[in-house]
Amino acid sequence: MSEAGFPLLSLAILLPLLGAIATGFTPTVKLAKSIALVIAGCELLLTLLIVQSFNAGSGDFQLVEKYPWIPFLNINYLVGVDGISVLFLPMSALLTLTAIIASWNSVQHSPRFHFALLLALEGITIGVFTSLDTVLFFLFWELTLPPFFFLIGLWGIGSQRRGAAMKYTLFMLFGGVPLLFAIVILATNHAVAVGGAIPQALSFSLPVLLETPLAADLQILVFFLLLLGFAVKAPLAPFHTWLPTAAMEGPAHVTAILTGLKLGAYGILRFTMPLAPAAAVEYSWLLGILGAVTLIYGALIALQQTNLRRLLAYASLSHVGLVVVGIASLNMQGLQGAVFQLLNFTLVASSLMLVAGMIQHRLGSTEIIHLGGLAKVMPRLTCFYFLFTLASIGVPGTNGFPAELMLIIGALKAHASLGIAALVSAVLGATYMLSYIRRAFFGPITQSVVSQAQDLSPRELALLCVPALLVLVLGFFPDSVLHINQMASEVWLSRLLNPAP
Amino acid sequence: MDALVVLILLLPLTAAAVIGIGHVFGMLCGVADEAVTARIASWAITLSCLLALTLLGADLFGKNTGSFSAGQWLGSDSLSIKVNFITTGFNVGLAALFSILLVIVTRFSINYLHKEPGFYRFFFALSLFSSAMLLLVLSGNAVGTFVGWEIAGLCSYLLIAFAYDRPVAVINATRVFVTNRIGDAGFILGIGISYFYARNIDWNGLNAVAAQLTTPTATVIAMCFAVAAFAKSAQLPFTPWLARAMEGPTPSSAVFYGAIMTHAGVYLVILLQPIFEQAPFAMGLLAVVGLSTAVYSFVVGLTQTDVKSSLCFAISAQLGLMFLECGLGLWQLASWHLCAHAVVRCYQVLTAPSFLHYVHGNPMKPVPRDIAGLRWLYTASIQRFWLDPVTDRALVRPVHGLGHDLGYFDDHIVDRIMGTPARAGRAISSLAQLEGKILSSRPDHDADEFSRGSGFAGKFFQWTADIFNWFEDRLVLRGIGIDAIDMGRQLGYAANKFEKLILKPRYLVVFVFTVLLLAAAI
Repeated sequence: MSEAGFPLLSLAILLPLLGAIATGFTPTVKLAKSIALVIAGCELLLTLLIVQSFNAGSGDFQLVEKYPWIPFLNINYLVGVDGISVLFLPMSALLTLTAIIASWNSVQHSPRFHFALLLALEGITIGVFTSLDTVLFFLFWELTLPPFFFLIGLWGIGSQRRGAAMKYTLFMLFGGVPLLFAIVILATNHAVAVGGAIPQALSFSLPVLLETPLAADLQILVFFLLLLGFAVKAPLAPFHTWLPTAAMEGPAHVTAILTGLKLGAYGILRFTMPLAPAAAVEYSWLLGILGAVTLIYGALIALQQTNLRRLLAYASLSHVGLVVVGIASLNMQGLQGAVFQLLNFTLVASSLMLVAGMIQHRLGSTEIIHLGGLAKVMPRLTCFYFLFTLASIGVPGTNGFPAELMLIIGALKAHASLGIAALVSAVLGATYMLSYIRRAFFGPITQSVVSQAQDLSPRELALLCVPALLVLVLGFFPDSVLHINQMASEVWLSRLLNPAP
Repeated sequence: MDALVVLILLLPLTAAAVIGIGHVFGMLCGVADEAVTARIASWAITLSCLLALTLLGADLFGKNTGSFSAGQWLGSDSLSIKVNFITTGFNVGLAALFSILLVIVTRFSINYLHKEPGFYRFFFALSLFSSAMLLLVLSGNAVGTFVGWEIAGLCSYLLIAFAYDRPVAVINATRVFVTNRIGDAGFILGIGISYFYARNIDWNGLNAVAAQLTTPTATVIAMCFAVAAFAKSAQLPFTPWLARAMEGPTPSSAVFYGAIMTHAGVYLVILLQPIFEQAPFAMGLLAVVGLSTAVYSFVVGLTQTDVKSSLCFAISAQLGLMFLECGLGLWQLASWHLCAHAVVRCYQVLTAPSFLHYVHGNPMKPVPRDIAGLRWLYTASIQRFWLDPVTDRALVRPVHGLGHDLGYFDDHIVDRIMGTPARAGRAISSLAQLEGKILSSRPDHDADEFSRGSGFAGKFFQWTADIFNWFEDRLVLRGIGIDAIDMGRQLGYAANKFEKLILKPRYLVVFVFTVLLLAAAI
């Protein structure tokens, strides 16, 4: 672990939180919006600086900062990044920036609170990605709930937005309970393992816990508790029903953040697997089956959807299934493909959702019977939507292809049936995405409201250009991402496959 | 001279990028810019054709080293995918031939598409296709070939859906893309298995270790690539997509389905000759599928009445013969057949519209007597042996049905078990009035709210209370008799429903499939 000279990570967590306070207390709306935009822009630069100062040659945690927080229980403020987590920082910052620009004019009531919440959410998310102390992680994890609750409940576009916000919160609270149990078990196990007294010898720090041996039966318990907690957020079937509801009721840019940031899958990667390595290896088949079921289940349901936002929700469910299959395959290709695919989500799934929001904003609906022939009146919007669709179904040239290729090869290496499930989903993915395009974007115009719709405004064009460009760049040069997480992935794998005696 | 290969690919790709970006951002539009676009596209492909000919010349004089690598594209552990190319032999010859045909078609399209609304789209797709196709034949590893393979398929989608306001065109395009995607899955599976067993995804490396592979391994690898080849080259059972693909503008039909893209499958098989030779079963499969496609296309072709569909069955018949030749081990013959067929067919499809013009008004020729006499064969031929409806019945509808049932299951069972304040399925519109309506239509709203718990503890106590309430109400107050009968009946209904569901063929198939997978796992 290398300590940070300058507290870059803390700054990245604090800057948006302070920005949120500033935005919330600014007298005029216009100024508040500008502050939010500037803060989000600075945050993006800051996170890029973090990536710049990150050393890809080491698989260890870097830029680590440690301050005592609750000394009585040995809980510290401990943050740091490794190759697996570091790229999520600029991606979350970019996502927040696009969300702010996307909602620039569409928020009618209490805009200051809205933008303050978006910034706060950004700070908390970066906290989730960087915290290395399990209690600190749990704090940030639960703190993501209030912003989402208010953002969905207050600015949602569906008639049941309150219910959707409630549903989301209840699901997430449910997921939090097993996490907390697992954290307590791990901390007390450390105390027992080193033979100390309970409050003094507790340890919540991830690097310490990774080195602490854990009895086999406890490993199984911890593995399933952590898996349950993260499966709700990821989401894996059958805990996914909050996602379509939130996608239908929530505002598009918030849903974009929700589908773009796969915190649950990240949690499985960061905590579930390494903290209970023997159990993870033993039960990787179960994780693989869970992923494969989610994968096929989501794809088949997506085939039947008539509403774009629900379709995207199920498509995202299916993609999470693929990522989990990759994690469960326990080899470099599967793991690196999974991390790559998670990064892709922040570009592709969220941009698709934003485009859906633009359609909703113009036509008042994303239901198929209200659309048809959009390509004629909105050629640019169609172009961007099509590009992101191609990335989502993994066509070469886009970033979806290298990630999917690695995931499929990884799955095939682990077990042939997992690989075949992944291939089936690739075929189904093309079917549901292109069928929707066929019915909504192509064909004759049937609704008069469609024929009067405006194409993308310069603001929208600018905000879609950045992810579109990144989609192509990462598709052409996947090694630029892979070399950053290579060392960390090797360390991750060796921890699971060759445990220290 | 080897480095030329990069330029051959990059020129049309750059042209596609310039045309695409220019058009999306409004820098190239209207009739005025048509000339510029046409010039960009035709110069790019002409230059790359000249370069390809130079490369061929250099190869003939023995100046090429045989391969060229432009660095690593993707590296993960032992999987290292390079950007490398083959610069000798059949590949270079084919690249030169294809690029000549592409130049001709590009030149032809400039006049053919003049003042069409999709002019820019067409040249974007054509340039991208040129680049993809040349990558397909020149790439030195399986992933590079797959990239070309898939992008060529994408361009074919874009051009079949050229007239995108016609629903039939778009339906066909989607169907063709998805059909090809099944073949692509075979290709990816082939790449994965080659990497797993042969530790190699370079074509040369793979062919070099072919002799050391055991027959079952070689057979599996060969079968995977054969499936991909069958899908791309419209062999049975994938043949119907070719007829659907004729929807696009004539030059695109010529270049995609007549001259170039459909030959990709045969090319792949010829490329993997050493692997196929290790796998007698796969060779047999090639011969059988090729022969049956040829016969099928011949019979169906006899009753076609329009020029494009008769051409398309002629194409699949010839491709079938090429597969037959490969299957019989006549590799040289198959490669010459491929080249000759590409040239002839390109000419035929390009001249099809003029041909129609010349023969306009001629009486239609009667169906040949041989087939007219055989009533069943005639019907089968007219119906193209019902391949499309059979696929619909056997594959498309069950999958959709499964999706439908799962959607129901998700909304009505999973969602309900998980406990829901807001149901996913019932969200219909964004009208704020609806909310008021829902609230006002529930007069006992407050009463409901009174006994409703929230949070986990609340829910838990609410459920306990409900269970006691139910027990009290049903069993103690109403007596056991009536309720038991009711319950029995409901159970019966549920069992009936379950049985009906399980008897549907799609569930039987899923059941069998699951059992097989489990068996494979054990």
